[in-house]
Amino acid sequence: MRVPEARAPLLEVDGISVRFGAVQALQGVSLTIGRGEIAAIIGPNGAGKTSLLNVISGFYRPTEGHIRFDGKDRTHLKPYDVAELGIARTFQNVALFKGMSVLDNIMTGRLLKMKGSFLTEALYWGPARRQELAHRAFVERIIDFLEIQAIRKTPAGRLPYGLQKRVELARALAAEPTLLLLDEPMAGMNLEEKEDMCRFVLGVNDEFGTTIALIEHDMSVVMDISDHVVALDYGRKIADGTPAEVRTDPAVIDAYLGVAHA
Amino acid sequence: MLSLLHAVFVAPFADMAAAPAFFVEVLIGGIAAGLMYSLVALGFVLIFKASGVFNFAQGVMVLFAALTLVGLIERGLPVVVALLATVAVMVALAFGIERVVLRPLVNQAPIILFMATIGLNFFLEGLGEMVWGANVKKLDIGIPDESVKVAGILINKLEMSAAATAAVLVAVLAVFFQRTRIGRALRAVADDHEAALSIGIPLKTIWVVVWAVAGLVAIATGVMWGAKSGVQFSLSLIALKALPVLILGGFTSVPGAIVGGLIIGTGEKLGEVYWGPLVGGAIENWFAYVLALVFLVFRPQGLFGERIIERV
Repeated sequence: MRVPEARAPLLEVDGISVRFGAVQALQGVSLTIGRGEIAAIIGPNGAGKTSLLNVISGFYRPTEGHIRFDGKDRTHLKPYDVAELGIARTFQNVALFKGMSVLDNIMTGRLLKMKGSFLTEALYWGPARRQELAHRAFVERIIDFLEIQAIRKTPAGRLPYGLQKRVELARALAAEPTLLLLDEPMAGMNLEEKEDMCRFVLGVNDEFGTTIALIEHDMSVVMDISDHVVALDYGRKIADGTPAEVRTDPAVIDAYLGVAHA
Repeated sequence: MLSLLHAVFVAPFADMAAAPAFFVEVLIGGIAAGLMYSLVALGFVLIFKASGVFNFAQGVMVLFAALTLVGLIERGLPVVVALLATVAVMVALAFGIERVVLRPLVNQAPIILFMATIGLNFFLEGLGEMVWGANVKKLDIGIPDESVKVAGILINKLEMSAAATAAVLVAVLAVFFQRTRIGRALRAVADDHEAALSIGIPLKTIWVVVWAVAGLVAIATGVMWGAKSGVQFSLSLIALKALPVLILGGFTSVPGAIVGGLIIGTGEKLGEVYWGPLVGGAIENWFAYVLALVFLVFRPQGLFGERIIERV
């Protein structure tokens, strides 16, 4: 195992354990995600990948361990505090505001960036108006970037699954996150949609310099786009390194092929 | 047969044309009643929009607000002080509801939250009775329940002030939801709790805000209805009148609550006066519910509701 090359650490997860009653979802997992890298978290079903993401984004409280983000300890934060720190996420089963238009959905991603008094907002006056327009302009850039111009007025709930995932990514991007957590961004997509999504993930990393941690099952995708791969199995980390290293790691092969653990 | 058609489709309109001043009076009465229904419906819409919960306790919140206000006035507080104190009580109630009822039930199915509001309903009813007693109370807010003639048309002062209050409240709330950052956050929370948390919306604050606003709307409703028909436990039943309004207007729409209220208010008044004699009266009692049934069949999302199609 090798520590990914000299990138400054952005997120340091140290000895995290999560237990639900008798179920040990995560057990002493440590990993470091460097600034600007694309890290993939892999593992068989039930390995604890989503639990790990939920701990990082504040949805679960770890029973043990620490999380440092940008050099500061932030183990026990609430999800909305995490969002304020600059961590955005998407969900495995798509959590969009189904009744709201695509544009409104993406605009909600900018809520934390908006300031202003109640009254000027209500009157849509002066600074409030300029602010809304500035945010709209930014959101339009994201819409162009993700190629969803044609659906901006459509209620999100009516879109096909692949597009919903794209809108969810757009909402996360609207918050201008430092760290973007993607929970199976390509699950249930066809080949073409997967290729598009890969392009977007790489583009986000490249253009906005966003650090990305993603959970993915498709090994060819993982090998293609990530700088760094972490493999989990039964709530423990079993491998950590470059894609090439992890792919040939015997523990990973065992976990995927179901060889009995000695 | 012909005479029946005539009686239903021709005679009433002939009556309207024959006495236009009276027609306008009936219409105004209908609009005023309609805005009062809208006010009740608004309380429901607010909470439904922001938490996806149908708040069964809204009617009792109206009663509780009115009881508190009357009770405080009876104990000798000046009206303004009593009103401020009632506002404080309703805001405190919002904090309490968030802490005790909503927070432990985050991410539960809407039906669970709905059941919780049924519990809240009984709790508030009991609390109101315990603290303020079960007698019918008179609420005097200084506006007499009497009519004046304006341009040859009789207008009830109390109904007009209620209508004006409702109109102002509605305008403020519509702007609040459509224009402000908090409004957008509210709509987001209503749609998906998890997603709202992930983009940095603190659920707790939003819930307190929305229940407090619903509490304020309940005070306005309670004052207006209480001044008209006395503060008594049947006040909580006006919630029943709000249901057809909501079905007409759509559960998620503030303008819908207004338009729905107006349609039902004017519809039942006109129906009662002009078509009532044909069926022996009492149209006012069932008109709203029959209209709601028709809407449920042909346009279940209401006039302005959001149509959400779930994919399987």
